[in-house]
Amino acid sequence: MDMIKEIRAPLEFNQHKVDRQSHIAIKDAGLCKKKCTLKPCTYICPSQVYTWQNHSLRIDYARCVECGACHAFCQENILLNYPRGGFGVEWRY
Amino acid sequence: MKDTYDAIVVGAGPAGCAAAYTLAAGGVSVALLERGSKPGSKNMFGGTIYRIPTEEIIPGFWQKAPLERAVISDQLWIMEQDSAVNIGFTGLKYSIPPYNKFTAIRTDFDSWFAQQAVKVGARLYTKALVKELLYEKKLLGKGPINGVKMDTGDKLYANCVILCEGVNAFLTKQAGLRSKIPPHAMTLYCKEVLELPGHIIEERFNLEKGLGAIMGMVGYPTAGAVGKGGIWTNKNSLSLMVGGYLDQLAQKKLSPYILLQRLKQHPLVRKLIQGAKVIEYQAHMIPKGGYHFIPNLYSDGLLVAGDAAVMISGRRGTDLAMLSGKYAAEAVIAAKAKEDFSAETLRSYQVKLNNTFFMKDIKSSRNVLDYYKDHPDSDFLMSKFINDAAYHYFTTGMQSEKKVLDNITKELTILQLPLKSIKDIYAGLKYWGVF
Repeated sequence: MDMIKEIRAPLEFNQHKVDRQSHIAIKDAGLCKKKCTLKPCTYICPSQVYTWQNHSLRIDYARCVECGACHAFCQENILLNYPRGGFGVEWRY
Repeated sequence: MKDTYDAIVVGAGPAGCAAAYTLAAGGVSVALLERGSKPGSKNMFGGTIYRIPTEEIIPGFWQKAPLERAVISDQLWIMEQDSAVNIGFTGLKYSIPPYNKFTAIRTDFDSWFAQQAVKVGARLYTKALVKELLYEKKLLGKGPINGVKMDTGDKLYANCVILCEGVNAFLTKQAGLRSKIPPHAMTLYCKEVLELPGHIIEERFNLEKGLGAIMGMVGYPTAGAVGKGGIWTNKNSLSLMVGGYLDQLAQKKLSPYILLQRLKQHPLVRKLIQGAKVIEYQAHMIPKGGYHFIPNLYSDGLLVAGDAAVMISGRRGTDLAMLSGKYAAEAVIAAKAKEDFSAETLRSYQVKLNNTFFMKDIKSSRNVLDYYKDHPDSDFLMSKFINDAAYHYFTTGMQSEKKVLDNITKELTILQLPLKSIKDIYAGLKYWGVF
């Protein structure tokens, strides 16, 4: 788990054009707290957008690489859109 | 700005570019919409462009397209902590024109591909995110689709829309063509691009100048989940990737990023990437869903192709995306000739797809997912057994050959392999899909 804290990727290596507005939202924050024991979004997300801090889910949408895994796993509660046109991650390779 | 076209293609990946290219070359006016700042900037793939299927769209593409290396060598490593059983093929016929397959960088290749569509008359819009499909107004209910609305509120109109929007398929879902795909039908991969001078790559992978290799890896890389690792050679970089089925990663509490860092530490991988500098980190999902999860592929004024249409078969995806994009475009060209874009006319796309080799492959492997769902340990156990057996076999000791083979058989019976009955052996051979 220590390794998770050390994750600097992807922001260090990637170009991200971060929008002012978030493209990710949680439908019912109470559900994360009460019903979700494993909280897979906190480890399944390849760029660690989601962290559990002070009994609530923190979403750092700027880190998102737009894979959609969070939404594919938690279709009920994670509302994912793509960032606006031209925003978000810009891969070069 | 012209805002009415015969057709709109959403997404300038392999499916979308192939569709737009085919449409424009067929005399249909088409807008190709890409949400990234350039085509390919949101895309990731398993490394290779296959020549024969790609030539179905653009013959001789490999003479002009930005490609990295012609691949001559395919290896599969069945890996454990301190060993690997290698299976592979190197074909020098693949080192001369017209080649077999190529590694490529998505942003370069997709941008080039989109430009080919532009050259024959397609109009490319970048930074163009479609939020909604527009429907013709009818007195009762919705009419056929007649355009798209962008995130800026701008609207574009067309007789027909082809959705090549990729794995997440938000619009395909919005149109009611695709149901929810469960996590056991999705795989998630992450990848690092590692910069390394070309001559060092050639030295380490035993390659002549300009040629390339691909290595798949099972077992160790996914730490018990069903999935794969892989490394392949670009001109001046390596791509290292790992991932697996989403439900298994979640259940086993595996972070794909940590799996990737763990794979980089493996003694056999570490040597290959030594001194390389990380220059990019990517992640992407593949809709491994197969036959059961293919959405409805058409409705009035609407077609779906590529990942959005779950056109994946084994290792193949990019080429099937291109082919499905082409076939969707051909259906639209026929529809334009009839001036009829109804579902009934566009159905020819489905008929065409059903007769392709890849739809037959997708159909015949429709139970693979269930196999992996029921045998989540299959990769781990197979890989462990194969490596243990190899250690027994290759350790030159003081036992008779018969004794060595007896020990291997004993090992096989101790392990809780998913092969417990004749039926399981049959299923294992049929579905354990690493080859």
